[in-house]
Amino acid sequence: MMTGNTNSKIAFAHLTSRLRQTLVATMSVTFGISMYIFMNGFMNGVNNIQADLSFSTMAHIRVYNDLPEDRTNLLKQHTNPDQVINIRNAKVIQYTDGIKNSEKILDRLKKQPEITGVTPQVNINVFYRNGAIKINGVLSGIEVDSEDRLFKTSTFVQQGSWNDLSYRTDGTIIGAGLAKKMSLKLNDNLVVSTADGVTKSFRIIGIFKTTIAGVDNTKAYIKINSARQLLSENSSFVTDVQVNIRDYSKAREVADKLASSIPYKVEAWQVANGQMEATTELRNILAMAVSMTILIVAGFGIYNIMNMTVNEKIREIAILKAMGFEGNDIVQIFLLQSLVIGIIGGTAGIVFGFLISTAVNHIPFQVATLQTLPMTFYLKDYTLSFIFGMLTTFIAGYLPAKKASTIDPVIIIRG
Amino acid sequence: MENNIALSVNNLNKYFYDPETFQVLKNISFDVKKGEFLTLIGKSGSGKSTMLYVLSTMDTDYEGELFINRTKLTGKTQNELAAFRNAYIGFVFQFHYLLPEFSAIDNVMLPALKLGLKSKEEIKENAFQNLSLLGLKEQAYKSANKLSGGQQQRVAIARALINNPSIIMGDEPTGNLDSKNTRNVFEIFKELTKERGQTIIAVTHDEEFAQNSDRTIELADGELLRSE
Ligand SMILES: Nc1ncnc2c1ncn2[C@@H]1O[C@H](COP(=O)(O)OP(=O)(O)OP(=O)(O)O)[C@@H](O)[C@H]1O
Ligand SMILES: [Mg+2]
Repeated sequence: MMTGNTNSKIAFAHLTSRLRQTLVATMSVTFGISMYIFMNGFMNGVNNIQADLSFSTMAHIRVYNDLPEDRTNLLKQHTNPDQVINIRNAKVIQYTDGIKNSEKILDRLKKQPEITGVTPQVNINVFYRNGAIKINGVLSGIEVDSEDRLFKTSTFVQQGSWNDLSYRTDGTIIGAGLAKKMSLKLNDNLVVSTADGVTKSFRIIGIFKTTIAGVDNTKAYIKINSARQLLSENSSFVTDVQVNIRDYSKAREVADKLASSIPYKVEAWQVANGQMEATTELRNILAMAVSMTILIVAGFGIYNIMNMTVNEKIREIAILKAMGFEGNDIVQIFLLQSLVIGIIGGTAGIVFGFLISTAVNHIPFQVATLQTLPMTFYLKDYTLSFIFGMLTTFIAGYLPAKKASTIDPVIIIRG
Repeated sequence: MENNIALSVNNLNKYFYDPETFQVLKNISFDVKKGEFLTLIGKSGSGKSTMLYVLSTMDTDYEGELFINRTKLTGKTQNELAAFRNAYIGFVFQFHYLLPEFSAIDNVMLPALKLGLKSKEEIKENAFQNLSLLGLKEQAYKSANKLSGGQQQRVAIARALINNPSIIMGDEPTGNLDSKNTRNVFEIFKELTKERGQTIIAVTHDEEFAQNSDRTIELADGELLRSE
């Protein structure tokens, strides 16, 4: 207790007598920690924006009726060498399309605690026609409310209103690119024909524009029941059930869990979008690598300065030891100095990191739906940066302190 | 071993290996009684400082045995020796070493704060008394690096006395002092040995200082010459 006080007094004297070096060391910690916070906040921001953009047209999990299994090699199943088999004109004679009685599945999905939204869809490949123009596309029959809840589709509607669709059985909201290609505008008619040869005309009551041209060029929304009529299916038929969950990064796990109780294909977004998962992961690794490098560089800064302090104070260390201070006291004296530097530098780094992040978050960046550069302010990043910062300081301070504690006083005092 | 022996060395040999092997202390044995004021003289380079570092337990690289207060110190660990020095030995270096960032009184207080037996107030009071005794009342709160050489040396003496060590070792403790201060330090040492039974071993080049001490031993080329 008494010695602890004395040691901290000596540590404090060292810190204040070399104010400039102390300041440089503190600033290197501040720099390291604020950069860590900024890098991670920015990368998380970018990841979130990408997720937001992607999940405006794609759900976290999709449930659908997969194509029947591969039957191109029917001989494979027959292994009895005594049999002779002759196959001619093989064809699939029975195959059910879509999900026939969707209520049960929808009910089951809605009961799962990790699921935040479910919407059924009837997606049909169609030809859009206007006079001589004929374009291949997807007509999406949807439930107006739940579709909007999952994908915020209403925010992409530029002309007309999303909610109008709920009371217009013959209405459709089409992509801006599609409208342009077909030379159609609001209140014109859109003629669609299905693969089975059914043709129907819809009134354009809205035009939407997402950030993905491929969607805008080919998609049109109608009410789900109108889509069922087009296919002559009953009111429980759907082609896809789109599911959103609480944490999109857990989609695989949730999909695996659901698969056991649902007799259809349950597919997590990562399966269909491997490249997006990869880029997100790579960005996270990059952010981690860069911020760790910065922290290590900051650590070297402290290490250097503490080493210099030890060299400069080597006579004083020898005197302290001659007067009876033990190795542990010396370690304490120097470790305390780096901890003070770490705590002050770390606290300043957190404040500074927050300020930099806020400033960058205000830089205009008008691309896609963005107004400014993206940024997150997660408590986790701030806490981790401080912990890593203190760890770096501790290690960077411990090595010179250990060295100081092993100094032989006679060698120094003899000169 | 008699009860009134403060320090004893048996067959002390020490070598330096750099630049070449060279025996600096040769087969030295002697005892110092409790309350004795011993002076150590010898030509420059005869090995006085070297021997004092061994006696003070700071240097452990020697052959032979060292006892202080009947405790065998040869072979103890660095930390054990540090604790022993703190409690039982006061040392005044040939070139007075103080901590430059601290005031004179803080320097004097350090060994006592480390020992931790008394309250801070008590230690401060003792430190101030020691400084007054050495004529440094006015300099007590001055930063150590703002003191003259002689003042620094007296602060170092005050520091060596703070824990009432059973042995005080000084490597030319009055080397930088004028005759008046030298006499004062001599009187203080004399009193400590007579009144409190503390033991003093001091290296000196001052004939008068040596003559007035209880006993003088002389080193010549690492050998003990006379032991009166
Ligand atoms: N670290 C060392 N390495 C090698 N030789 C040394 C070392 N320190 C001292 N010596 C030598 O040992 C001898 C004794 O040195 P020491 O410092 O003990 O002398 P001293 O009697 O105290 O002299 P002075 O009166 O000048 O202080 C000298 O010859 C010196 O050169
Ligand atoms: Mg000497």
